[in-house]
Amino acid sequence: MTTTAPFPAPAKTVAEPDIVEAEHIGKVFHRDSFEVVALEDVSLTIARGDFVALMGPSGSGKTTLLNMIAAVDRPTSGTMRVMGQDIYRLNDREAARWRNEKIGYIFQTFNLIPVLTAAENVELPLLLTRLSKGERREHVETALRLVGLQDRMGHLPKQLSGGQEQRVAIARAIVSDPAILLADEPTGDLDRQSAAEVLEIMTRLNQEFRKTVVMVTHDAHAAGYAHVTRHLEKGHLQA
Amino acid sequence: MTLTGFTAKSALRNRRRSLLTILSIAFSLLLLTLMMAVWRGFYLTKGTPAGARRLMVRNRTSLTFPLPAYYGQKIAAVPGVKAVAPALWFGGVYKNNKPQNFFAQIGTDPKTFFQVYPDYGIPPAQWAAWRRDRAGCVVDARLMAQHHWHLGQHLFIKGTIFPVTLQLTVDGVFHAPPGFEAIYFNQKYLQKAMPPLTSIAGMFYVLTDSSKNVSRVERTIDGMFQNSPAPTRSETERAFFLGFVNMLGNIKAFILAISLAVVFAILLVSANTMAMSIRERIREVAVLKTLGFTQRGVVGLFVGEAVAIALLGGILGTAGAAGLIAMGGQSPQGALLKAFTVTPGIVAAALLVAVVVGLVSAALPAWRAAQHSIVEGLRHAG
Repeated sequence: MTTTAPFPAPAKTVAEPDIVEAEHIGKVFHRDSFEVVALEDVSLTIARGDFVALMGPSGSGKTTLLNMIAAVDRPTSGTMRVMGQDIYRLNDREAARWRNEKIGYIFQTFNLIPVLTAAENVELPLLLTRLSKGERREHVETALRLVGLQDRMGHLPKQLSGGQEQRVAIARAIVSDPAILLADEPTGDLDRQSAAEVLEIMTRLNQEFRKTVVMVTHDAHAAGYAHVTRHLEKGHLQA
Repeated sequence: MTLTGFTAKSALRNRRRSLLTILSIAFSLLLLTLMMAVWRGFYLTKGTPAGARRLMVRNRTSLTFPLPAYYGQKIAAVPGVKAVAPALWFGGVYKNNKPQNFFAQIGTDPKTFFQVYPDYGIPPAQWAAWRRDRAGCVVDARLMAQHHWHLGQHLFIKGTIFPVTLQLTVDGVFHAPPGFEAIYFNQKYLQKAMPPLTSIAGMFYVLTDSSKNVSRVERTIDGMFQNSPAPTRSETERAFFLGFVNMLGNIKAFILAISLAVVFAILLVSANTMAMSIRERIREVAVLKTLGFTQRGVVGLFVGEAVAIALLGGILGTAGAAGLIAMGGQSPQGALLKAFTVTPGIVAAALLVAVVVGLVSAALPAWRAAQHSIVEGLRHAG
């Protein structure tokens, strides 16, 4: 099932290839002697600049599909091209580098490093780049300013509210200027107000900065921020 | 922030645990450093160039059996011998039996003693004064400072082996290597009080003309007295010293056993800390890998943490050992410690052990953590 959101997708200026092209993706987990089919014959395309919500009940395969797009998990069958790259042809090292450069990942539980300040958490992905200290600082400040936390740079995660932690996590996801943002239940641990702030930021990133956003959510209200909502049911993508 | 900064912050994230680990490693490496200093002091220190030319000649049966005094003249006539000085252990008590008042008192011949020990550096005028003064003695500089003596000071030393109380005057000060602190007095003073001692010597100190001749002179002297009633045993100054050490038991095996136990203990402590720390951070590993850290990068971070903790412990431990030896050497009870030194080489070796312990203790748990798939790691509740 596909629904259309109130926010229009930014108009494409020229014909661009789809940013995500998944074909016949299947994923089977082996748990003890059982086989669990997480995804079955999932084919999906996501256009550059889209804001897509993936919805479905628990165990429907939403997060598994998101992880496939991020190259943090590999399918049992099928192919996936993200930004033209057949990501399953990459070895672990190449995949790590690819994620660092191309993907911004936002977790439900923020997953900030507790001993690092907000600025240091945001800087973490940049430590793997060739950017100078000054350039990294500039990127970190820009990212934190975008999420409205420029005055919380020196705060540790425990000194921030849940909403602020998630905004730091968003800043960390965008600091390397990836083309695609993947968010796994980004508002799942937040109150309504904080959730709304986070969704506004993601909408702004999509509309102003043309980031492609793929968001897994249970929340129909959150999904309402997306241009397109795709439903998964028992590992099958609904038409 | 840098990766090094990240590693340092991570290493100290559980401050109490990190501190306890650092202290455990520090204590163990303090012991290891002391053991290495003892090993070096006993087995590796070569002594002075003159020391390499010296021989100690004693009764083959035991150090407690004397030699005839006339052996001195015979030894002096051996080709390659430059000077000979007799020595007799007095074994008296200065003031009381407290350890801080213990030092060696040895009767010798003032005329030849500093010919055999030119490296002890006594001022010629003081040596001359001692030669003129039958009741005089010369004192090692460290003993002089420890007891706040001065030239002209009168020392009363009550004999325990010989029923004589020496009343000596300090005529000179010399500088012996650490561990060789003693006072030397004119043996004629003792012989006058006990005439039978005129015909015996406890042992002889011999200086050869060249270190190359030491073995030959050694064999000649022992061969000369082989069939006499008092056969001799000649050995180098170093071998003589090690003979004393070996009286304590198999010191080498003792030091090796302690060192191995210490290294094994710190390995366990560090491995336990790292295993706990890494197990708690499986989820964090998954997050780092999601952000783009490679498996090798993750292993590097954890190993870096372990090495940082072990190095901190190592620095504390070696500093503690150096301080202990320095302070102990100052105290009267720690006279033996003066023979030991924590050299830069020992510090480097101890720190190398710390680095290796850090590497070995973290490598396996870090590698296993890095092997976890990201999906598994993100599900991890720890």
